[in-house]
Amino acid sequence: MPQLDVFLLILRLLFIVLLYLFLLQVIIAITRDLRAKAPVIKGRLIVIDKGPSTFLNVGDEFLLRPETTIGRGPMNTIRLSDGFISTEHARLRNRNGKWYVQNIKSTYGTYVNRQPASDEILVNPGDIINLGPIAFKLVQ
Amino acid sequence: MSRSFSYSLKRYRWKEFWLFIIPFVILLLEMTQLLLARLIHSGTLNGTSFLNVHNLPTIQGLIPVIGLIVALFAVNIFLSIFFPKADQMLLPLTGLLSGIGVLMALRTGPALSPPDPTQGTRQLMWVILGLIAFLITMIILKNMRWLKQYRYILLAIGLLLLLASVVNAFRVKNFNSPTHDQLNFGPFSLQPSEFLKIILVIVFAGFLSERRDFFGNNDVHIGFLRIPVPRVNELGPLAIMLGISLLIFLGIRELGLALLIYGIFLCMIYLGSGRITYVVGGLLIFAASSFLGYTVLSHFHIFSYVGERFQTITFNVVDWQHWTAADELFAENAGLQIVQGLIALSSGGILGAGLGLGHPTFVPVVQSDMIFTGLGEELGLAGLFGIIAIYMLILYRGYRIAVETADPFNQLLAAGLTSIFAIETLIIIAANMNFFPLTGLPLPFLSYGGSSLLANYIIIGILMRISHDTALAKEREGSE
Repeated sequence: MPQLDVFLLILRLLFIVLLYLFLLQVIIAITRDLRAKAPVIKGRLIVIDKGPSTFLNVGDEFLLRPETTIGRGPMNTIRLSDGFISTEHARLRNRNGKWYVQNIKSTYGTYVNRQPASDEILVNPGDIINLGPIAFKLVQ
Repeated sequence: MSRSFSYSLKRYRWKEFWLFIIPFVILLLEMTQLLLARLIHSGTLNGTSFLNVHNLPTIQGLIPVIGLIVALFAVNIFLSIFFPKADQMLLPLTGLLSGIGVLMALRTGPALSPPDPTQGTRQLMWVILGLIAFLITMIILKNMRWLKQYRYILLAIGLLLLLASVVNAFRVKNFNSPTHDQLNFGPFSLQPSEFLKIILVIVFAGFLSERRDFFGNNDVHIGFLRIPVPRVNELGPLAIMLGISLLIFLGIRELGLALLIYGIFLCMIYLGSGRITYVVGGLLIFAASSFLGYTVLSHFHIFSYVGERFQTITFNVVDWQHWTAADELFAENAGLQIVQGLIALSSGGILGAGLGLGHPTFVPVVQSDMIFTGLGEELGLAGLFGIIAIYMLILYRGYRIAVETADPFNQLLAAGLTSIFAIETLIIIAANMNFFPLTGLPLPFLSYGGSSLLANYIIIGILMRISHDTALAKEREGSE
């Protein structure tokens, strides 16, 4: 058996090494988790008419998640800090591979091909979604 | 039979199990180190003596740590049966932190003056009670709506408990003592404010998730500046919250709690509205009113400790060779805690003295408020970085749970509860390093103290229940 001093030094070093190994293990677990949960990209919104917005440009693209909310608030999947977009503007949901859009609480409204989407409306690829004066095209 | 067995193996929380292994080894090694250090202190061993079977510490010494390991493992099995989908990283992280907390309580207890030999055992008991509270929280919260519906009843209970400690404060009538926040139930003493902070987050989350449209559609334009003007129905609760936090500052406990509650409030306002202007405005109001309060109070010579705490920050500890007599007097009285804490941190160096081999008890109240300096002395800079990294991972998981859940109330609740950990850790670590006036906040999971441990495990319970519900909801959606 070693001298006590040496043994205590080994214990001290071992503590540090194990602590950092543990952190590494957690980080590896987290990255695996993220990779497993990474959403499969099933759709995009492309700006085709930016209206009076100074924030957006024609051609801007937004990736959609299976459940996407659009609005100015920080809890939205897609945050658009534009004056014509409300805090919680619209929600897009994917069910069985099809996209549905619904207005949440917006001042300027949500429309699919000029039809108001106060209830959930089916959106096909190529359809135009209007959030107030801003027009998007759904692309899959 | 074999099918149900393989089914339960599949449900078993393997990730959590594997993450528990290294913390368990760390705790066992550190306990061994602590026992050896005790033998050195008692004179049985010294640095040059050789270890053999006869002078090794007995296996009974490991019992506290083994007890903790068994408790954590039991929780792991319980969760595998009832909540297999809940987050698997939070418990190993918090388990390691509270294990280190128990070791520090075991270590500092006998060295305190007056010595407190049962401190470690009590801390262990509180951790186990905390784990039980954690499980109860997860079981009770069948429906998160329940919290939202009964939030005002919860708030009433919390304020009632707080009122009792206000009355207590006036009975004791020592306004220069920092803390009045205590209620005694026989052998137990509870700090109601620890639970009040959870209740306040629930109330804020309920309020903000119901009225998210109130914020932000009411701006005054001055040139390119957009200044949000709060309406009366926003301003009302705002003013009440500010009032409560300042009241607590004045009546019950020191700056720390008021700062914590106000910080949580600003975090949640930001999360609910997305406007940084509210946060900046809130901070300006807080700074102005604190300054005003401070000037008035120091004029009447009450709350003298607050002034001393501010004075400590400007005190130059490094330049000790040129201290005047007044400086020395300050370092030995009002500034003692911080000065000793900084000395402890610096003497720890990079690797630390090793658990049980430093002198952390030179720092007054090292077991709770100043535990970070004690850890710094014995585990070193490397250990402190590791501990801070554990906190960061806990925060990451908490905010992640908030991002993944779909319900606005649950989002705000999870983010707000995680913010409690963030603000507490930030304030108390900054105070220990003398970047910030020292305030009576515990370092989550590490500081000695039952109420704080119970409250923190209840928070973890709520977070894990939300993550379990979210995972179940996603599964249901996927199978549709």
